[in-house]
Amino acid sequence: MSVYLASILTNMALISFLALSAYLVLVVGEISFGQQAFFGIGAYVTATATVIFDAPVGLALLLSALCAGLAALLLAALTLRLSGLYFAIASLCFAELFRLSLLQIRLPLELDGRMTGPDGPEGFSNIRWIFDNNIEVVDFLSLTLACLGTLLMLLFVLERTQVMFCARLVGKDNILAQSVGVRPNLYRMCFICASGIVAGFGGALFALFNTHIEPQMFGVMLGVHALAYSIIGGLGAPIGPLIGVAIDIGLLESIRALSAYRMIVFGGLVAVLLIVFPEGLINPRFVNRVRNRTRPNV
Amino acid sequence: MEFLQTSLDGILFGSAYALLALGFSLIFGIMKRINLAYGSSLLLGSAIAVWVNEHIGLGPLGLFLVTITAAALVNIYVERLCFCPHVGKTGVTASMIASFAIWMQLDEISSQLLPQRTHEFPGIEIGSVEIFNLYLRGDQILNLWVAIIAISALFLILRCTRFGLLLRASADNPETAKLLGANVSRIGIVTFAIAGFLGGTSAFLILSSDGHVTPLFGLWSTIKGLVAMMLGGVGSLVGAVLGGLLLGFLEAHTTNLFGAEYRDISTFGILFLVLILRPGGLMGVAHYRTDRLAHERI
Amino acid sequence: MFEFRNISIGFGGMNVLRDFSIQLHPGDRVGLTGGNGSGKSTLINIATGFLIPQNGQILLDGKLLTGMPAWQYAREGIRRSFQSVRLLPNVPLQDQFQAEVHDIKTLRSLLQETTLAKYLNQFPSEIPLPIQRKAEVVRALIANPRYLFLDEPCAGLTNAELTAFAGFLSNHVPVDCGLIVVEHRCDLIEMVANRLISLDSNAQGSQTSHA
Repeated sequence: MSVYLASILTNMALISFLALSAYLVLVVGEISFGQQAFFGIGAYVTATATVIFDAPVGLALLLSALCAGLAALLLAALTLRLSGLYFAIASLCFAELFRLSLLQIRLPLELDGRMTGPDGPEGFSNIRWIFDNNIEVVDFLSLTLACLGTLLMLLFVLERTQVMFCARLVGKDNILAQSVGVRPNLYRMCFICASGIVAGFGGALFALFNTHIEPQMFGVMLGVHALAYSIIGGLGAPIGPLIGVAIDIGLLESIRALSAYRMIVFGGLVAVLLIVFPEGLINPRFVNRVRNRTRPNV
Repeated sequence: MEFLQTSLDGILFGSAYALLALGFSLIFGIMKRINLAYGSSLLLGSAIAVWVNEHIGLGPLGLFLVTITAAALVNIYVERLCFCPHVGKTGVTASMIASFAIWMQLDEISSQLLPQRTHEFPGIEIGSVEIFNLYLRGDQILNLWVAIIAISALFLILRCTRFGLLLRASADNPETAKLLGANVSRIGIVTFAIAGFLGGTSAFLILSSDGHVTPLFGLWSTIKGLVAMMLGGVGSLVGAVLGGLLLGFLEAHTTNLFGAEYRDISTFGILFLVLILRPGGLMGVAHYRTDRLAHERI
Repeated sequence: MFEFRNISIGFGGMNVLRDFSIQLHPGDRVGLTGGNGSGKSTLINIATGFLIPQNGQILLDGKLLTGMPAWQYAREGIRRSFQSVRLLPNVPLQDQFQAEVHDIKTLRSLLQETTLAKYLNQFPSEIPLPIQRKAEVVRALIANPRYLFLDEPCAGLTNAELTAFAGFLSNHVPVDCGLIVVEHRCDLIEMVANRLISLDSNAQGSQTSHA
């Protein structure tokens, strides 16, 4: 496998974490423009842990997921009263506050003759874990796919449980949920926290792969893209967001003639797809119909 | 004295935000939807005008006319693609997502039309005025006047004309309005066209002050417009204007106190606080109910 | 015992309920009537926690419920249906009930008994209205409610369907569950209720009982 192809696939896998994180929030009925902040938190925590504290990479990944999850929990707690547009804008503010604060944190240090450390707009360079451990791109791809695969399996198992049913119920009809004794705020907080964990983990891997991160990588557009992937891919199953990622990065990147105009095509494609599939390609209705047809009769 | 000068600067600068917020508020107030492509539509309108100007040379008046016409046409395109197909309560999310997909598309088209980082925008030039030791910029005074005239005109149209009545009726209940003879589809087009003309005017004034246009104008005007609208209270036209002025005021003072690099942090920080503590913004509870159950008749 | 104590509420300066006090007991079969805008739905919303009265309390066996969130009312055993049918649109009938932890066997037998059996694989958009209404009641019954409030369950049903629905209620609502039905249509009330509460324009309630 060529390095180029392995890189593309790795990037697709990494952004899939972010798309799945947006998906988890969409499931409980909210739109978040702020998932990129949790991605960024994961990235910076892992960078700090591996470079400055020489932590083992497993611990760094865990710490990243934890910090991002806590940040997400904080956002969820603060925004309990908000929904719809208000929650979306609040999440945007939260993410931008994070990114803008990063611009002010300037703690450069020199390690082994190289400049590193979070240096405001210059970012955090020389995250050398993959170099120090001689990790090839293909190996990193395997690692990322293994993690993504595990996550997908967990989500797949979760889909059939009562927890997921109640979460979707909260997302679809809050009032009905309450009338059957389901506690909407609890599900909101749990799923938003989980979305933070997922995004944080993806961000951690991203930092290791990219070896250089800077605040402007975690801006509004990143989050908006991940959200778009989730929505056109569909919310019926965890594979939905991945399909959205595949459509944009995979399809359009591979058609060279279009790549200069990728956003023009992708943007228009999303709008048109939404007319036909307002809830995405792999939408809940479609998934439930398939399940219905393939189940043994009651 | 300095406080007064800063305040005045802020409020006058905020008039630009007020005009942007008016456009968002018009769509949200009339159609209960958020048009995230609005800022980019204004960018594209201006980009088209600049592109035409670079090829066949227009005077300031010509530039103005092309800007507002192009902005209106682009807005109509957005309406047809993103808002017309998604009606009813379930269409609110889909239309918002479609509109931010088109946001990405329009930004890209504008970048293609403006290949250099900045392009000259030869709009109108107005001098400054000094009253009682206070220095007032003429172009900003013009902004303020245009905002006041625009909001008065909008109020007149909405409250005193039959067309305004139809607009408000279809906003409230499109099905019933249709039964009563309103051409809901055409009303959507007209509303977006008005928002386009209004936004095109504000873009023209802002860019004339700046003297140049960059592709970042789309994101900038979207964020500023949304923030101003939410500070003032979503859906309220007066709130949009007041919110814009307030935003300008706050930005001027925080820049003065903490320096320009903290300006954006304070903007988002204030908005975040407003959303958490008083989501209704300046205009208050009348335009927002945190209790979602109050929205629905159950 | 479920008690409304001095419930008062108004909207925009208009009193909808004023000093409304009524007691409900397990096994009651109550019909709630009144003209349009007399406050019937408002009363149900208050009884199930979706609205907070401006004055007065809701008590369940002496325990104060007012001010708790609606989901807590549901967990206390107070269930309801809504004026317009609320079923998940993308889920087939047999999967509509997963929010409760329940015994699959009783669910299955309940569904078989109540003629919902042949609609189990269908989506709400494919299911006739009377079956949807029954499904809503079944959903509430699975939770073994102590008090069940039905908000105009026969809106849109034909007379024959209404009679069938009344029979369904009589047969399947447990004896120890208190049933309160808001209905415009007198025939349902006559068939199901042994007690009538009427909300009049004075925002007070008056009661009559009949066997």
